[in-house]
Amino acid sequence: MFSPRLLIISAIAVALVSSALGVSSLYVNAQNNGEEKIVISHGLGYYETTGDVLDPTSSDGTASTGIDPMTYLRSFNYGRTSTLENGVVVREFTLIADDRQTMEVSPGIFYNVWSFNGTVPAPTLRATEGDLIKINFINNGTRPHTIHTHGIHKAEMDGVFEIINPGGGFQYEFYAEKFGVYPFHCHVMPLEEHISHGLYGAYVVDPKTPRPPADEMVMIMNGYDTDFDTENNFYTVNGIPYYYMHHPIQIEKDRLVRVYLVNMLEFDQINNFHLHGNLYNLYRSGTSLTPNELTDMVTLSQGERAVLEFSYKYTGQYMFHAHKTEFAEKGWTGLFSVREG
Amino acid sequence: MDRTVFCKGGIIVEEQKAQRSGFSVKLVASAIIPIVILGAMVTFLLSPGNLLLNIGVPLPDVTIERVEFLDNRIVAHIRNTGPQSIEVTQADVNDRILPAAIEPSRFLQRFEEARVVIPFEWNEAQPYEIGVTTSDGTRFAKSISAASPTPQPDAGQVSVFALIGTYVGIIPVLIGLLWLPFIRRLSQAKYVFFLSLTAGLLIFLGIDALVEANEIAIENVSGAFRGQLLIAMAAIVSFLVLIYTSEKLVNRAGVRSALQRPFAIAMMVAIGIGLHNLGEGLAIGGAMVLGEVALSTFLIVGFALHNTTEGLAIVAPIARQKPRIMRLIALGIIAGAPAIIGTWIGGFVSSPLASIVFLSIGAGAVFQVVYAIAKFTDHSPKSTFLSGPGVAGIAVGMLVMYLTSLLI
Repeated sequence: MFSPRLLIISAIAVALVSSALGVSSLYVNAQNNGEEKIVISHGLGYYETTGDVLDPTSSDGTASTGIDPMTYLRSFNYGRTSTLENGVVVREFTLIADDRQTMEVSPGIFYNVWSFNGTVPAPTLRATEGDLIKINFINNGTRPHTIHTHGIHKAEMDGVFEIINPGGGFQYEFYAEKFGVYPFHCHVMPLEEHISHGLYGAYVVDPKTPRPPADEMVMIMNGYDTDFDTENNFYTVNGIPYYYMHHPIQIEKDRLVRVYLVNMLEFDQINNFHLHGNLYNLYRSGTSLTPNELTDMVTLSQGERAVLEFSYKYTGQYMFHAHKTEFAEKGWTGLFSVREG
Repeated sequence: MDRTVFCKGGIIVEEQKAQRSGFSVKLVASAIIPIVILGAMVTFLLSPGNLLLNIGVPLPDVTIERVEFLDNRIVAHIRNTGPQSIEVTQADVNDRILPAAIEPSRFLQRFEEARVVIPFEWNEAQPYEIGVTTSDGTRFAKSISAASPTPQPDAGQVSVFALIGTYVGIIPVLIGLLWLPFIRRLSQAKYVFFLSLTAGLLIFLGIDALVEANEIAIENVSGAFRGQLLIAMAAIVSFLVLIYTSEKLVNRAGVRSALQRPFAIAMMVAIGIGLHNLGEGLAIGGAMVLGEVALSTFLIVGFALHNTTEGLAIVAPIARQKPRIMRLIALGIIAGAPAIIGTWIGGFVSSPLASIVFLSIGAGAVFQVVYAIAKFTDHSPKSTFLSGPGVAGIAVGMLVMYLTSLLI
């Protein structure tokens, strides 16, 4: 019954079965779901597929952090205004913190964001030098939160020691003393966690004599560490990676553009802003009306901010992005589309 | 009287029959009842709304099993090795997000696989890290130490691999067979030495295969597949099955003619070494695909030297015989040719799981041969494995293998 032949045959059989196991992985794409789609690379190549296309650089799909970044770009919240007897303008804002939302921060990628008023970044607040700012803060989340504003104010308005528990509230009150652009964010420990999840925004204080009229926009630079390895998986301006690549910002030739730029990036904190085909007047922190520099590059650490002013001489599409290419290639890239005015 | 006895006998037989059929129903029932109860329990645990065992968060897991570098394109073969179905939403090269395609679908059931195709102008010999991100934002990546064009199974590449397999497999083994006249002239003690040397070589090869399989299990196979247990299982089963079949084989040969016994052992050695060389071929082909090996002539020379000793292992048992030349060559080809098949499989379809199975079967086969040689020497008068020449032979055999393996 047993012969050398049998031994050889069994060895061959084992070899065949194992080879079949190995070969089976070759035929993964035998099945398909119909139509052909094209993937266009950032280089020369392209690829036609019957499978699915993964390309957050050309579309944001249904991704949203609670705002339309195009609307957010030019939205400034002046608050409910009233005037005191002494003529001081009071601006009252409401910010509600929550930490229970899961949002699609990039196409198909869901992340638990912590937000003010349900958006990342928070709405931009705006006042004029000398105004009294009142922020009604409500903590609607499951963890303690606060609002810490940068700028001049009393110690008890600093949002550091007065921790607001879930369900609690607080009214922050301070005078808008020096004009400029300022960040605000939650200041509960661990700070890294509260900032990286999205509890931040910006407020602008205008000088008493307004700056020259311009197409004004706010850009908050941030990131998301979706796998919690203390390195960001995504970098954005105004919340959605690559948003302004597939939705270029329309601006007019020769018209002054003013960008209120704030860096709220956690983990890799050195961020920057590079503008193509142009130079901008750089006002660091926006606290002076005399530019510090005429440049196309500004580097900002976390919490640093600046006002940028420029106008385009030629029409066409111009890129703006972090000149830290890693950030640029993980979402922090956008386009200005300059048209005839 | 006779009739009654017969009748009684008939009754007893029928009762037994009835008992037996009743017994078999009970037997089947007793086998099935535990399965039914188990099934009921599993159904209860899996039933929707059962929160009893709803503990903890199941984490996704994706294994990138293979990365291919094609013309202006990188292809990653990924598998969902986590507990749940997943959605792949993003691909990257060196942690930079890139447009990509995923086939057949971005939704992967448990253990399902997909191809991620990234159009990308890669540079040869440069390291790359290929990553994919799932819908919960977790990134899974695999590093490639040096990109090199993935061999495609065209005629040219098939023959290149065949050539490599011939140089590292068939030719060295055939050269090793030329030691036959030398071994034939040795005294009994020296013969035992060389037979044990063969065993030493094989022990080394077996351990080598297990270590190699273990490396693949750790680096390229998801924990979900229990790679190391697979190694142990495949090695032990192949060892036992081969012992069983070869005992039968040798006994039969023994009955037919005492002269055929050594040839049967030589045949087993050849098959064992053949399986080993299949694993070696897999390693060479696989390494070329992964870009881990610049296949230099030096490397081929190293493998050739290493494998020449395998020829020695085949001729040692038949040294006292006068085998026909054609039979010798057949043994050499059985031992050497699988290297060619190995390079093809390793180079074109390399599946880490298949590699592990091959290598472990090879290890089991090699150990079985050592076992057979041990029994073989036991039967010879005045010589055993554990004699002075025997121990020396095993030690020298392993040392030779170690030293030649340094060349690779």
